[in-house]
Amino acid sequence: MSYLRGVEVSPSFPPFAALRDYFGFVPYIYRLQTLVPHLIEAEAELARAVLVEDGALSRIRKESILLAVAAANRNLYCVAKHYQTLQLLGVPERQAAQLLGGYRQAGLSQADEALLDFAIKLAGEGHCISQQDLAGLGAHGLTDEALLEVILVTAWANFLCTLSVGLGAKPDFESPEIPNQVLERSHAIDTIEPNRGPFLRSGPDDDKTFAFFREEIGFVPNLFRAQTLRPEALTAEAGMVRVILLKDDLLNRVQKERILLVVSAVNCNAYCVAVHSEILGNLGIATEHTDQVALDYRQANLSVADEALLDFARKLASAPAQFSGSDVESLRSHGFRDEQVLEAVAMTAFTNFLNTVQFGLGAKPDFAPRLVLRPAAKIPHLSGSESRPTEREGPPDPDAESVAKVQRGDLDAFEELILRHSKRVYRTLIGILGNPDDAQDAMQDTFLKAFQHLAGFEGRSKFSTWLTSIASNTGLQRLRERKPMESLDDDAADQDGGFRPRQIRAWTENPEQLYSRTERRSLVEDTVMKLPAKYRVVVVLRDMEQLSTEETAAALGLGIPAVKSRLIRGRMMVREALAPHFLDSAKGVAT
Amino acid sequence: MGNLLDGEVAAAVRLQLENHLSHCETCQVLYDSARKTLRIVTDSGSFDLPEAASRPIAEKIMARLRETRVNTNRDPDRS
Repeated sequence: MSYLRGVEVSPSFPPFAALRDYFGFVPYIYRLQTLVPHLIEAEAELARAVLVEDGALSRIRKESILLAVAAANRNLYCVAKHYQTLQLLGVPERQAAQLLGGYRQAGLSQADEALLDFAIKLAGEGHCISQQDLAGLGAHGLTDEALLEVILVTAWANFLCTLSVGLGAKPDFESPEIPNQVLERSHAIDTIEPNRGPFLRSGPDDDKTFAFFREEIGFVPNLFRAQTLRPEALTAEAGMVRVILLKDDLLNRVQKERILLVVSAVNCNAYCVAVHSEILGNLGIATEHTDQVALDYRQANLSVADEALLDFARKLASAPAQFSGSDVESLRSHGFRDEQVLEAVAMTAFTNFLNTVQFGLGAKPDFAPRLVLRPAAKIPHLSGSESRPTEREGPPDPDAESVAKVQRGDLDAFEELILRHSKRVYRTLIGILGNPDDAQDAMQDTFLKAFQHLAGFEGRSKFSTWLTSIASNTGLQRLRERKPMESLDDDAADQDGGFRPRQIRAWTENPEQLYSRTERRSLVEDTVMKLPAKYRVVVVLRDMEQLSTEETAAALGLGIPAVKSRLIRGRMMVREALAPHFLDSAKGVAT
Repeated sequence: MGNLLDGEVAAAVRLQLENHLSHCETCQVLYDSARKTLRIVTDSGSFDLPEAASRPIAEKIMARLRETRVNTNRDPDRS
């Protein structure tokens, strides 16, 4: 039994061979995904990295965690699978059965009991995990490497549970009975405090996947920076991000980001909500809209199909026991193909994975969360306008009419948009690339990309804001291709505090009178060109293009604090460079 | 000081800062020169794409778009 159609795949399909190697058979859950073979490939890699690779924890310990979490989630498919695997690994059936609920009476070592307690809490109530929980495990002699593995295995257990429910996978083996247990889920807290971690030390703040994250999403989320102790897991997770999230051929990217957002909100994971709000912002979706989707997508003016997609993901994530084939039918009735349904299931499961990892690691927010998420009412139904997030009703978008014309097929209207916005796009690009020829070249790419994606532009942000984000992403991509060393994402230097002004002599009263405007312009241009890219771009966007701090942050995929600190550094560097030209000769040193 | 330059500080903090500035000559020089720097940078018209440059670029882009559209129309699978 399963909900989706499958296709025949050769038994020698490499991921199947690998899975046979890891488990002794190809679990049904993977065979159900043959419509999108890349998924199987990426999942097999993550299974290998999390489960099979030698690490600090033995395979039996990892499979024990998987079984205990599956039993706590009351997932028959996963229970049967892990129960069988443990026995294949030589664990007596009686011992495996004790992991199904009565492990506290099973005479496990204190460390193993604490480990399972932790995993079950993390899997079911991740938002309640604190530094103390990890310190408690540390006291049992578990190293940070081991703790990272526990977290990854628990996240993987949640992934498999969600996936199996969404696919309607029937167990590969007869499932043992899961005893009815009263789980102690009483960690009632009102508000989630997202900024508590990180709980574990991380390895070197560098990894071969960092370049991938910078390229694809504009920055390296702290969630991944916190996992450098296990580089092979990072590589596999990056593979999942690539295959599940970034591909645009089945569900589109915005639909997938929305699933991430809604499922993270249901799980009360403020960290992931903030990251994906930022990313949606970079894709041209206005903050107000994103907040509304996270809080209550039914009030967000989505299409009926998009709303159905989020109903599906939310139910799968928050009420798996009620999920059934009729939910899949409902998506089909809204025009979704089986490949897309499969992707929605994988996206939901992977969100649960990422949320669980973040809860376990307490990764620090990359962006200040704007929303307060409450576990008591996971999806608050807002009433009236008072409880809506702050409305920022700006004036109507002056480009709306031209945009609509282009969307209706009027190509000439696009030329108007180019002419109207060429200056802004050029400035953005020169700020990033620091070179007029490159900037003009990248301008073409920017407008071509904008044209390609204009059909999906829903007018939730201004066209000019949306276009600036595209320009910024285009510029950043080129910058990375050209100078891998010159990164906008290196925040070490923001914190060094080593910048001390050297020029502390007074300036003349009217510096503008000393040089003509043309002279001043070339002085400023020369100075700004010499700034490191990370400072140059904020100075150009903020002080020349005169975007707001928020707009600058959104365009660059940076947090507001990062924009502010880079802006002050950038301005101070410009001040130092300009000072010799504008000093007041009448006054001496002012110290 | 960044916030002060951008007018983004609360009135009370602003008063405190201005009070400090009135006593501290170094900070006064720094603030004054930073303010002037900002003025010069903002008003310099730097990196302003000349009108004359924008039209040919627009034409190039439009030519490429028209070309793509013709190709797409020829090949219905790619639409």
